[in-house]
Amino acid sequence: MNLERMPNEEKLSLCRRYYLGGFAFLPFLWLVNVLWFFKEAFLKPAYTEQPQIKSYIKKSAMGLILWVAVLTTWITIFQHFRARWGEVGDYLSFTIPLGTA
Amino acid sequence: MNTSDSEEDSYNERSALVQCESPTIPSYNQDHDMSLPQETDTKRRRPVSSGLDEPGPVERERASTPDGEEEELTLKYGAKHVIMLFIPVTLCMVVVVATIKSVSFYTEKTSQRLIYTPFEEDPNSVGQRLLNSILNTMVMISVIVVMTIILVVLYKYRCYKFIHGWLILSSLMLLFWFSFMYLGEVFKTYNVAMDYPTLVMIIWNFGVVGMICIHWKGPLRLQQAYLIVISALMALIFIKYLPEWSAWVILGAISIYDLIAVLCPKGPLRMLVETAQERNEPIFPALIYSSAMVWMVGMADSSNPDSADERQRNEGGALAQEGVESEDDAAQGGRRRYSAEEDLEEDRGVKLGLGDFIFYSVLVGKAATTGGDWNTTLACFVAILIGLCLTLLLLAIFKKALPALPISITFGLVFYFSTDNLVRPFMDSLAAHQYYI
Repeated sequence: MNLERMPNEEKLSLCRRYYLGGFAFLPFLWLVNVLWFFKEAFLKPAYTEQPQIKSYIKKSAMGLILWVAVLTTWITIFQHFRARWGEVGDYLSFTIPLGTA
Repeated sequence: MNTSDSEEDSYNERSALVQCESPTIPSYNQDHDMSLPQETDTKRRRPVSSGLDEPGPVERERASTPDGEEEELTLKYGAKHVIMLFIPVTLCMVVVVATIKSVSFYTEKTSQRLIYTPFEEDPNSVGQRLLNSILNTMVMISVIVVMTIILVVLYKYRCYKFIHGWLILSSLMLLFWFSFMYLGEVFKTYNVAMDYPTLVMIIWNFGVVGMICIHWKGPLRLQQAYLIVISALMALIFIKYLPEWSAWVILGAISIYDLIAVLCPKGPLRMLVETAQERNEPIFPALIYSSAMVWMVGMADSSNPDSADERQRNEGGALAQEGVESEDDAAQGGRRRYSAEEDLEEDRGVKLGLGDFIFYSVLVGKAATTGGDWNTTLACFVAILIGLCLTLLLLAIFKKALPALPISITFGLVFYFSTDNLVRPFMDSLAAHQYYI
Protein backbone atom coordinates (compact mmCIF):
# COMPACT_ATOMS: atom_id res chain seq x y z
CA MET A 1 0.00 0.00 0.00
CA ASN A 2 1.50 3.20 -0.99
CA LEU A 3 0.01 6.11 0.82
CA GLU A 4 1.43 8.52 -1.67
CA ARG A 5 -0.91 7.39 -4.29
CA MET A 6 -4.12 7.23 -2.37
CA PRO A 7 -6.65 9.97 -2.55
CA ASN A 8 -7.16 11.80 0.71
CA GLU A 9 -10.61 10.44 1.39
CA GLU A 10 -9.27 6.94 1.19
CA LYS A 11 -6.47 7.79 3.56
CA LEU A 12 -8.95 9.15 6.05
CA SER A 13 -11.14 6.13 5.73
CA LEU A 14 -8.20 3.78 6.19
CA CYS A 15 -6.98 5.69 9.23
CA ARG A 16 -10.44 5.59 10.69
CA ARG A 17 -10.80 1.88 10.14
CA TYR A 18 -7.49 1.18 11.77
CA TYR A 19 -8.52 3.33 14.70
CA LEU A 20 -11.83 1.57 15.14
CA GLY A 21 -10.23 -1.82 14.68
CA GLY A 22 -7.88 -1.18 17.55
CA PHE A 23 -10.75 -1.35 19.99
CA ALA A 24 -10.87 -5.08 19.53
CA PHE A 25 -7.98 -5.52 21.97
CA LEU A 26 -5.50 -4.63 19.24
CA PRO A 27 -2.99 -2.07 20.51
CA PHE A 28 -0.61 -3.28 17.81
CA LEU A 29 -3.06 -2.02 15.24
CA TRP A 30 -3.04 1.36 16.92
CA LEU A 31 0.73 1.35 16.87
CA VAL A 32 0.74 0.59 13.15
CA ASN A 33 -1.81 3.34 12.64
CA VAL A 34 0.29 5.90 14.46
CA LEU A 35 3.50 4.98 12.70
CA TRP A 36 2.01 4.74 9.26
CA PHE A 37 -0.01 7.92 9.28
CA PHE A 38 2.36 10.02 11.36
CA LYS A 39 3.97 11.61 8.36
CA GLU A 40 0.61 12.20 6.77
CA ALA A 41 -0.84 13.85 9.81
CA PHE A 42 1.98 16.00 11.05
CA LEU A 43 4.64 16.45 8.43
CA LYS A 44 2.65 17.15 5.33
CA PRO A 45 1.20 20.44 4.23
CA ALA A 46 -2.37 20.83 5.32
CA TYR A 47 -5.22 19.39 3.36
CA THR A 48 -8.89 19.05 4.10
CA GLU A 49 -8.85 15.69 5.79
CA GLN A 50 -5.73 16.26 7.76
CA PRO A 51 -7.27 17.51 11.04
CA GLN A 52 -9.40 14.41 11.23
CA ILE A 53 -6.47 12.16 10.55
CA LYS A 54 -4.57 14.02 13.24
CA SER A 55 -7.31 13.41 15.76
CA TYR A 56 -7.43 9.72 14.93
CA ILE A 57 -3.69 9.44 15.32
CA LYS A 58 -3.80 11.21 18.66
CA LYS A 59 -6.59 8.99 19.93
CA SER A 60 -4.79 5.89 18.71
CA ALA A 61 -1.65 7.04 20.47
CA MET A 62 -3.53 7.56 23.72
CA GLY A 63 -5.13 4.16 23.49
CA LEU A 64 -1.77 2.63 22.75
CA ILE A 65 -0.14 4.26 25.78
CA LEU A 66 -2.98 3.09 27.96
CA TRP A 67 -2.61 -0.49 26.76
CA VAL A 68 1.15 -0.39 27.20
CA ALA A 69 0.70 0.79 30.77
CA VAL A 70 -1.83 -1.92 31.55
CA LEU A 71 0.26 -4.67 30.01
CA THR A 72 3.46 -3.52 31.66
CA THR A 73 1.77 -3.44 35.02
CA TRP A 74 0.29 -6.87 34.58
CA ILE A 75 3.53 -8.40 33.36
CA THR A 76 5.49 -6.90 36.20
CA ILE A 77 3.01 -8.17 38.75
CA PHE A 78 2.91 -11.59 37.21
CA GLN A 79 6.65 -12.07 36.92
CA HIS A 80 7.20 -10.86 40.44
CA PHE A 81 4.49 -12.72 42.24
CA ARG A 82 4.12 -15.82 40.11
CA ALA A 83 6.02 -18.07 42.40
CA ARG A 84 4.15 -16.84 45.45
CA TRP A 85 0.77 -17.45 43.98
CA GLY A 86 1.21 -21.15 43.99
CA GLU A 87 -1.52 -22.94 42.21
CA VAL A 88 -3.09 -19.88 40.66
CA GLY A 89 0.30 -18.90 39.30
CA ASP A 90 0.74 -22.27 37.66
CA TYR A 91 -2.73 -22.16 36.26
CA LEU A 92 -2.04 -18.82 34.64
CA SER A 93 1.33 -19.87 33.28
CA PHE A 94 1.89 -20.97 29.79
CA THR A 95 5.51 -21.85 30.33
CA ILE A 96 7.03 -22.41 33.71
CA PRO A 97 10.75 -21.87 33.98
CA LEU A 98 12.70 -24.82 35.18
CA GLY A 99 15.11 -24.74 38.00
CA THR A 100 13.70 -21.78 39.84
CA ALA A 101 11.35 -21.56 42.75
CA MET B 1 4.25 -29.26 22.75
CA ASN B 2 1.57 -30.71 20.77
CA THR B 3 2.89 -33.61 19.00
CA SER B 4 -0.34 -34.26 17.43
CA ASP B 5 -0.26 -31.45 15.04
CA SER B 6 2.01 -31.23 12.25
CA GLU B 7 1.55 -29.27 9.27
CA GLU B 8 3.26 -29.06 6.12
CA ASP B 9 3.15 -26.48 3.61
CA SER B 10 4.48 -26.95 0.37
CA TYR B 11 4.58 -24.61 -2.26
CA ASN B 12 6.18 -23.98 -5.38
CA GLU B 13 7.19 -20.77 -6.60
CA ARG B 14 8.12 -19.52 -9.76
CA SER B 15 9.51 -16.36 -10.65
CA ALA B 16 8.11 -14.93 -13.68
CA LEU B 17 9.75 -12.65 -15.97
CA VAL B 18 7.96 -9.75 -17.15
CA GLN B 19 8.31 -8.85 -20.66
CA CYS B 20 9.64 -5.47 -21.32
CA GLU B 21 8.14 -4.01 -24.32
CA SER B 22 9.14 -1.47 -26.78
CA PRO B 23 6.98 1.61 -26.85
CA THR B 24 4.94 0.46 -29.76
CA ILE B 25 3.53 -2.68 -28.34
CA PRO B 26 1.76 -3.15 -25.09
CA SER B 27 3.76 -4.91 -22.56
CA TYR B 28 2.43 -7.60 -20.49
CA ASN B 29 3.50 -9.23 -17.40
CA GLN B 30 3.50 -12.79 -16.84
CA ASP B 31 3.27 -14.09 -13.50
CA HIS B 32 3.77 -17.48 -12.49
CA ASP B 33 2.74 -18.61 -9.27
CA MET B 34 3.15 -21.97 -8.33
CA SER B 35 1.41 -22.75 -5.31
CA LEU B 36 0.62 -26.05 -4.17
CA PRO B 37 -2.66 -26.30 -2.59
CA GLN B 38 -2.75 -28.67 0.16
CA GLU B 39 -5.67 -29.93 1.84
CA THR B 40 -5.88 -32.12 4.68
CA ASP B 41 -8.71 -34.38 4.74
CA THR B 42 -9.85 -36.25 7.65
CA LYS B 43 -6.90 -38.50 7.45
CA ARG B 44 -3.72 -36.89 6.79
CA ARG B 45 -3.00 -35.14 3.75
CA ARG B 46 -1.11 -32.28 2.85
CA PRO B 47 -2.77 -30.01 0.51
CA VAL B 48 -0.70 -28.03 -1.71
CA SER B 49 -2.13 -25.15 -3.39
CA SER B 50 -0.62 -23.41 -6.15
CA GLY B 51 -1.53 -20.05 -7.11
CA LEU B 52 -0.70 -18.27 -10.13
CA ASP B 53 -0.24 -14.74 -10.47
CA GLU B 54 -1.55 -13.29 -13.45
CA PRO B 55 0.06 -10.38 -14.87
CA GLY B 56 -2.27 -8.18 -16.60
CA PRO B 57 -1.24 -6.48 -19.67
CA VAL B 58 0.66 -3.50 -18.81
CA GLU B 59 0.93 -0.59 -20.97
CA ARG B 60 4.31 0.62 -21.17
CA GLU B 61 4.68 3.95 -22.54
CA ARG B 62 7.87 5.50 -23.22
CA ALA B 63 9.04 8.31 -25.18
CA SER B 64 10.79 6.87 -28.12
CA THR B 65 13.98 5.48 -26.86
CA PRO B 66 16.49 3.61 -28.83
CA ASP B 67 16.81 -0.05 -28.16
CA GLY B 68 20.15 0.32 -26.52
CA GLU B 69 18.72 2.56 -23.87
CA GLU B 70 15.92 0.16 -23.30
CA GLU B 71 18.35 -2.61 -22.76
CA GLU B 72 20.25 -0.48 -20.35
CA LEU B 73 17.18 0.42 -18.38
CA THR B 74 16.15 -3.20 -18.28
CA LEU B 75 19.47 -4.24 -16.94
CA LYS B 76 19.55 -1.39 -14.49
CA TYR B 77 16.23 -2.39 -13.11
CA GLY B 78 17.33 -5.98 -13.19
CA ALA B 79 20.29 -5.24 -10.97
CA LYS B 80 18.16 -3.27 -8.57
CA HIS B 81 15.67 -6.06 -8.38
CA VAL B 82 18.31 -8.59 -7.60
CA ILE B 83 19.24 -6.58 -4.54
CA MET B 84 15.60 -6.08 -3.65
CA LEU B 85 15.14 -9.81 -3.59
CA PHE B 86 18.38 -10.65 -1.86
CA ILE B 87 17.37 -8.87 1.30
CA PRO B 88 14.10 -10.67 2.04
CA VAL B 89 15.50 -14.05 1.02
CA THR B 90 18.50 -13.48 3.26
CA LEU B 91 16.30 -12.34 6.14
CA CYS B 92 14.12 -15.39 5.85
CA MET B 93 17.11 -17.69 5.84
CA VAL B 94 18.68 -15.85 8.76
CA VAL B 95 15.52 -16.26 10.81
CA VAL B 96 15.32 -19.94 10.03
CA VAL B 97 18.98 -20.63 10.74
CA ALA B 98 18.92 -18.58 13.94
CA THR B 99 15.92 -20.53 15.16
CA ILE B 100 17.41 -23.86 14.24
CA LYS B 101 20.63 -23.10 16.02
CA SER B 102 19.01 -21.87 19.19
CA VAL B 103 15.69 -23.62 19.62
CA SER B 104 16.30 -27.31 19.77
CA PHE B 105 12.67 -28.19 19.18
CA TYR B 106 12.98 -27.88 15.45
CA THR B 107 15.88 -30.25 15.22
CA GLU B 108 14.52 -32.91 17.51
CA LYS B 109 13.43 -35.79 15.48
CA THR B 110 10.13 -37.17 16.52
CA SER B 111 8.45 -40.23 15.25
CA GLN B 112 5.67 -38.05 14.06
CA ARG B 113 5.53 -37.50 10.43
CA LEU B 114 3.34 -35.64 8.14
CA ILE B 115 0.77 -37.58 6.32
CA TYR B 116 2.46 -36.72 3.12
CA THR B 117 5.48 -38.76 3.95
CA PRO B 118 4.00 -41.97 5.22
CA PHE B 119 7.03 -44.18 4.79
CA GLU B 120 9.33 -44.38 7.69
CA GLU B 121 13.03 -44.08 7.12
CA ASP B 122 14.85 -46.91 8.67
CA PRO B 123 18.33 -45.79 9.61
CA ASN B 124 19.70 -49.28 9.51
CA SER B 125 19.39 -50.19 5.91
CA VAL B 126 20.64 -47.82 3.27
CA GLY B 127 18.72 -49.37 0.43
CA GLN B 128 15.48 -49.45 2.37
CA ARG B 129 15.95 -45.89 3.47
CA LEU B 130 16.60 -44.71 -0.04
CA LEU B 131 13.58 -46.56 -1.32
CA ASN B 132 11.35 -45.13 1.35
CA SER B 133 12.50 -41.61 0.76
CA ILE B 134 11.84 -41.97 -2.93
CA LEU B 135 8.38 -43.31 -2.17
CA ASN B 136 7.75 -40.43 0.22
CA THR B 137 8.79 -38.02 -2.48
CA MET B 138 6.47 -39.63 -4.96
CA VAL B 139 3.58 -39.33 -2.55
CA MET B 140 4.35 -35.70 -1.85
CA ILE B 141 4.81 -34.73 -5.44
CA SER B 142 1.63 -36.46 -6.49
CA VAL B 143 -0.25 -34.61 -3.78
CA ILE B 144 1.23 -31.40 -5.07
CA VAL B 145 0.37 -32.19 -8.66
CA VAL B 146 -3.19 -33.08 -7.72
CA MET B 147 -3.55 -29.90 -5.77
CA THR B 148 -2.21 -27.81 -8.59
CA ILE B 149 -4.58 -29.41 -11.02
CA ILE B 150 -7.51 -28.86 -8.66
CA LEU B 151 -6.48 -25.27 -8.39
CA VAL B 152 -6.33 -24.84 -12.14
CA VAL B 153 -9.72 -26.44 -12.51
CA LEU B 154 -11.20 -24.25 -9.80
CA TYR B 155 -9.76 -21.23 -11.43
CA LYS B 156 -11.00 -22.21 -14.84
CA TYR B 157 -14.50 -22.64 -13.53
CA ARG B 158 -14.35 -19.38 -11.65
CA CYS B 159 -14.79 -20.72 -8.15
CA TYR B 160 -13.12 -17.68 -6.74
CA LYS B 161 -14.85 -17.73 -3.40
CA PHE B 162 -13.63 -21.20 -2.69
CA ILE B 163 -10.08 -20.25 -3.47
CA HIS B 164 -10.24 -17.10 -1.39
CA GLY B 165 -11.63 -19.03 1.52
CA TRP B 166 -8.91 -21.58 1.19
CA LEU B 167 -6.24 -18.96 1.22
CA ILE B 168 -7.68 -17.21 4.22
CA LEU B 169 -7.90 -20.47 6.11
CA SER B 170 -4.29 -21.21 5.33
CA SER B 171 -3.01 -17.89 6.47
CA LEU B 172 -5.11 -18.08 9.61
CA MET B 173 -3.56 -21.40 10.43
CA LEU B 174 -0.13 -20.10 9.80
CA LEU B 175 -0.44 -16.83 11.61
CA PHE B 176 -2.08 -18.19 14.71
CA TRP B 177 -1.26 -21.80 15.18
CA PHE B 178 2.31 -21.96 13.97
CA SER B 179 3.33 -18.75 15.62
CA PHE B 180 1.81 -20.03 18.86
CA MET B 181 3.92 -23.17 18.60
CA TYR B 182 6.96 -21.13 17.74
CA LEU B 183 6.55 -18.74 20.65
CA GLY B 184 6.01 -21.61 23.04
CA GLU B 185 9.22 -23.25 21.98
CA VAL B 186 11.21 -20.02 22.15
CA PHE B 187 9.96 -19.35 25.68
CA LYS B 188 10.83 -22.85 26.75
CA THR B 189 14.30 -22.55 25.28
CA TYR B 190 15.02 -19.33 27.11
CA ASN B 191 13.32 -20.49 30.28
CA VAL B 192 10.98 -17.55 30.47
CA ALA B 193 7.77 -17.58 32.41
CA MET B 194 4.83 -16.54 30.31
CA ASP B 195 1.26 -16.25 31.35
CA TYR B 196 -1.76 -16.99 29.28
CA PRO B 197 -3.32 -13.53 29.21
CA THR B 198 -0.18 -11.89 27.84
CA LEU B 199 0.35 -14.73 25.43
CA VAL B 200 -3.20 -14.48 24.13
CA MET B 201 -2.74 -10.76 23.61
CA ILE B 202 0.50 -11.27 21.72
CA ILE B 203 -0.79 -13.99 19.43
CA TRP B 204 -4.08 -12.20 18.86
CA ASN B 205 -2.39 -8.96 17.90
CA PHE B 206 0.19 -10.65 15.75
CA GLY B 207 -2.35 -12.75 13.93
CA VAL B 208 -5.03 -10.16 13.33
CA VAL B 209 -2.65 -7.45 12.18
CA GLY B 210 -1.02 -10.05 9.95
CA MET B 211 -4.32 -10.99 8.37
CA ILE B 212 -5.13 -7.33 7.82
CA CYS B 213 -1.76 -6.57 6.27
CA ILE B 214 -1.65 -9.57 4.04
CA HIS B 215 -5.21 -9.82 2.85
CA TRP B 216 -6.34 -6.27 3.03
CA LYS B 217 -4.38 -3.07 3.24
CA GLY B 218 -1.37 -2.30 5.26
CA PRO B 219 2.02 -0.68 5.14
CA LEU B 220 4.27 -2.32 2.60
CA ARG B 221 7.16 -2.96 4.94
CA LEU B 222 4.94 -4.60 7.48
CA GLN B 223 3.41 -6.79 4.81
CA GLN B 224 6.83 -7.84 3.61
CA ALA B 225 7.91 -8.56 7.17
CA TYR B 226 4.87 -10.73 7.77
CA LEU B 227 5.44 -12.65 4.58
CA ILE B 228 9.03 -13.30 5.54
CA VAL B 229 7.96 -14.46 8.99
CA ILE B 230 5.32 -16.74 7.57
CA SER B 231 7.76 -18.27 5.13
CA ALA B 232 10.21 -18.86 7.93
CA LEU B 233 7.55 -20.54 10.07
CA MET B 234 6.56 -22.80 7.22
CA ALA B 235 10.14 -23.71 6.48
CA LEU B 236 10.68 -24.58 10.13
CA ILE B 237 7.71 -26.90 10.11
CA PHE B 238 9.04 -28.60 7.02
CA ILE B 239 12.45 -28.97 8.54
CA LYS B 240 11.02 -30.53 11.64
CA TYR B 241 8.60 -32.93 10.12
CA LEU B 242 10.22 -34.14 6.94
CA PRO B 243 12.42 -37.18 7.38
CA GLU B 244 16.09 -36.69 6.63
CA TRP B 245 16.63 -38.20 3.24
CA SER B 246 13.11 -37.54 2.06
CA ALA B 247 13.67 -33.84 2.52
CA TRP B 248 16.58 -33.78 0.12
CA VAL B 249 14.87 -35.90 -2.49
CA ILE B 250 11.74 -33.79 -2.17
CA LEU B 251 13.73 -30.63 -2.72
CA GLY B 252 15.17 -32.05 -5.89
CA ALA B 253 11.84 -33.36 -7.10
CA ILE B 254 10.05 -30.08 -6.44
CA SER B 255 12.56 -28.17 -8.53
CA ILE B 256 12.04 -30.56 -11.40
CA TYR B 257 8.30 -30.27 -11.03
CA ASP B 258 8.57 -26.51 -10.93
CA LEU B 259 10.55 -26.57 -14.14
CA ILE B 260 8.02 -28.78 -15.87
CA ALA B 261 4.91 -27.05 -14.62
CA VAL B 262 6.06 -23.60 -15.56
CA LEU B 263 7.73 -24.19 -18.86
CA CYS B 264 5.82 -26.99 -20.53
CA PRO B 265 2.92 -25.87 -22.68
CA LYS B 266 0.57 -28.22 -20.89
CA GLY B 267 1.93 -27.51 -17.46
CA PRO B 268 -0.77 -26.63 -14.94
CA LEU B 269 0.80 -23.43 -13.84
CA ARG B 270 1.37 -22.25 -17.32
CA MET B 271 -2.25 -22.97 -18.14
CA LEU B 272 -3.29 -21.04 -15.08
CA VAL B 273 -1.27 -18.05 -16.13
CA GLU B 274 -2.61 -18.16 -19.63
CA THR B 275 -6.18 -18.42 -18.44
CA ALA B 276 -5.66 -15.48 -16.18
CA GLN B 277 -4.16 -13.52 -19.00
CA GLU B 278 -7.05 -14.32 -21.28
CA ARG B 279 -9.45 -13.07 -18.70
CA ASN B 280 -7.27 -10.12 -18.11
CA GLU B 281 -7.57 -10.32 -14.40
CA PRO B 282 -5.21 -10.79 -11.54
CA ILE B 283 -4.94 -14.27 -10.28
CA PHE B 284 -6.72 -15.02 -7.06
CA PRO B 285 -4.84 -13.75 -4.04
CA ALA B 286 -1.79 -15.81 -4.16
CA LEU B 287 0.75 -15.02 -1.71
CA ILE B 288 3.62 -13.37 -3.32
CA TYR B 289 6.29 -11.23 -1.95
CA SER B 290 6.42 -7.92 -3.68
CA SER B 291 9.26 -5.58 -3.19
CA ALA B 292 7.50 -2.47 -4.28
CA MET B 293 4.03 -1.29 -4.71
CA VAL B 294 3.39 1.04 -7.48
CA TRP B 295 0.05 2.37 -8.26
CA MET B 296 -0.66 2.07 -11.87
CA VAL B 297 -2.22 5.10 -13.33
CA GLY B 298 -3.61 5.03 -16.79
CA MET B 299 -2.88 1.42 -17.21
CA ALA B 300 -5.05 -0.64 -19.36
CA ASP B 301 -5.40 -3.38 -16.91
CA SER B 302 -7.10 -2.91 -13.67
CA SER B 303 -4.97 -5.22 -11.72
CA ASN B 304 -3.07 -3.29 -9.24
CA PRO B 305 -0.27 -4.04 -6.89
CA ASP B 306 -2.72 -4.53 -4.11
CA SER B 307 -3.22 -8.13 -4.71
CA ALA B 308 0.38 -8.78 -5.30
CA ASP B 309 1.33 -9.61 -1.82
CA GLU B 310 -0.83 -12.37 -0.93
CA ARG B 311 0.07 -15.70 -0.19
CA GLN B 312 -1.60 -18.87 -0.24
CA ARG B 313 -0.47 -21.52 1.76
CA ASN B 314 -1.59 -24.87 2.26
CA GLU B 315 -0.59 -26.76 5.11
CA GLY B 316 -1.78 -30.02 5.90
CA GLY B 317 -0.19 -32.23 8.28
CA ALA B 318 -1.13 -35.13 10.20
CA LEU B 319 1.12 -37.07 12.26
CA ALA B 320 1.42 -40.58 11.33
CA GLN B 321 0.67 -41.55 14.81
CA GLU B 322 -1.91 -39.16 15.83
CA GLY B 323 -3.88 -38.57 12.75
CA VAL B 324 -4.28 -34.94 13.31
CA GLU B 325 -5.12 -33.01 10.36
CA SER B 326 -4.66 -29.55 9.47
CA GLU B 327 -5.13 -27.84 6.35
CA ASP B 328 -3.27 -25.21 4.77
CA ASP B 329 -2.96 -23.90 1.43
CA ALA B 330 0.21 -22.80 0.10
CA ALA B 331 0.58 -21.01 -3.03
CA GLN B 332 3.52 -19.49 -4.41
CA GLY B 333 4.06 -17.43 -7.31
CA GLY B 334 6.83 -15.42 -8.44
CA ARG B 335 6.75 -12.77 -10.87
CA ARG B 336 8.38 -9.72 -11.76
CA ARG B 337 6.74 -6.79 -13.07
CA TYR B 338 8.00 -3.89 -14.83
CA SER B 339 5.57 -1.23 -15.51
CA ALA B 340 5.76 2.20 -16.78
CA GLU B 341 3.24 4.87 -16.38
CA GLU B 342 2.76 7.50 -18.87
CA ASP B 343 6.09 9.19 -19.21
CA LEU B 344 7.40 7.89 -15.94
CA GLU B 345 9.41 4.80 -15.55
CA GLU B 346 7.92 3.35 -12.49
CA ASP B 347 9.31 0.26 -11.13
CA ARG B 348 6.83 -2.17 -9.87
CA GLY B 349 9.42 -4.09 -8.16
CA VAL B 350 9.95 -7.74 -8.14
CA LYS B 351 7.65 -10.40 -6.98
CA LEU B 352 8.77 -13.73 -5.83
CA GLY B 353 6.50 -16.46 -4.70
CA LEU B 354 6.49 -17.46 -1.09
CA GLY B 355 7.11 -21.06 -1.95
CA ASP B 356 10.49 -20.10 -3.21
CA PHE B 357 11.28 -18.43 0.09
CA ILE B 358 10.16 -21.50 1.90
CA PHE B 359 12.15 -24.03 -0.05
CA TYR B 360 15.27 -21.93 -0.04
CA SER B 361 14.99 -21.66 3.71
CA VAL B 362 14.32 -25.37 4.04
CA LEU B 363 17.52 -26.11 2.20
CA VAL B 364 19.63 -23.76 4.26
CA GLY B 365 17.90 -24.82 7.45
CA LYS B 366 18.59 -28.48 6.81
CA ALA B 367 22.20 -27.61 6.07
CA ALA B 368 22.31 -25.86 9.43
CA THR B 369 20.78 -28.88 11.11
CA THR B 370 23.03 -31.53 9.79
CA GLY B 371 26.24 -29.63 9.24
CA GLY B 372 28.52 -29.55 12.16
CA ASP B 373 29.79 -26.08 11.58
CA TRP B 374 28.94 -23.05 9.58
CA ASN B 375 30.80 -23.95 6.39
CA THR B 376 27.98 -25.96 4.94
CA THR B 377 25.33 -23.43 5.90
CA LEU B 378 27.21 -20.54 4.39
CA ALA B 379 28.02 -22.49 1.26
CA CYS B 380 24.35 -23.30 0.72
CA PHE B 381 23.37 -19.73 1.41
CA VAL B 382 25.80 -18.41 -1.17
CA ALA B 383 24.73 -21.06 -3.66
CA ILE B 384 21.10 -20.10 -3.36
CA LEU B 385 21.82 -16.44 -3.83
CA ILE B 386 23.92 -17.18 -6.88
CA GLY B 387 21.09 -19.26 -8.25
CA LEU B 388 18.65 -16.45 -7.61
CA CYS B 389 20.93 -14.03 -9.42
CA LEU B 390 21.13 -16.32 -12.40
CA THR B 391 17.38 -16.80 -12.44
CA LEU B 392 16.83 -13.07 -12.42
CA LEU B 393 19.36 -12.68 -15.20
CA LEU B 394 17.55 -15.26 -17.27
CA LEU B 395 14.38 -13.42 -16.49
CA ALA B 396 15.79 -10.24 -17.90
CA ILE B 397 16.92 -12.07 -20.99
CA PHE B 398 13.93 -14.21 -21.75
CA LYS B 399 11.26 -11.97 -20.38
CA LYS B 400 8.79 -14.60 -19.53
CA ALA B 401 7.74 -16.52 -16.51
CA LEU B 402 10.48 -18.63 -15.12
CA PRO B 403 10.62 -21.05 -12.25
CA ALA B 404 12.69 -19.75 -9.39
CA LEU B 405 13.45 -23.05 -7.76
CA PRO B 406 15.47 -25.19 -10.14
CA ILE B 407 18.70 -23.27 -10.50
CA SER B 408 19.00 -22.25 -6.87
CA ILE B 409 18.04 -25.61 -5.47
CA THR B 410 20.40 -27.42 -7.81
CA PHE B 411 23.29 -25.22 -6.79
CA GLY B 412 22.27 -25.52 -3.17
CA LEU B 413 22.13 -29.29 -3.27
CA VAL B 414 25.44 -29.56 -5.10
CA PHE B 415 27.13 -27.22 -2.68
CA TYR B 416 25.61 -28.94 0.32
CA PHE B 417 26.70 -32.41 -0.56
CA SER B 418 30.11 -31.41 -1.80
CA THR B 419 30.81 -29.19 1.18
CA ASP B 420 29.60 -31.74 3.63
CA ASN B 421 31.56 -34.58 2.14
CA LEU B 422 34.61 -32.93 0.68
CA VAL B 423 35.27 -29.51 2.07
CA ARG B 424 34.51 -30.14 5.70
CA PRO B 425 36.77 -33.13 6.23
CA PHE B 426 39.45 -31.24 4.33
CA MET B 427 39.13 -28.20 6.58
CA ASP B 428 39.04 -30.37 9.64
CA SER B 429 42.25 -32.12 8.61
CA LEU B 430 43.94 -28.85 7.89
CA ALA B 431 42.92 -27.50 11.27
CA ALA B 432 43.98 -30.67 13.02
CA HIS B 433 47.41 -30.48 11.48
CA GLN B 434 47.59 -26.73 11.94
CA TYR B 435 48.28 -26.23 8.30
CA TYR B 436 47.09 -22.93 7.00
CA ILE B 437 46.40 -22.20 3.42
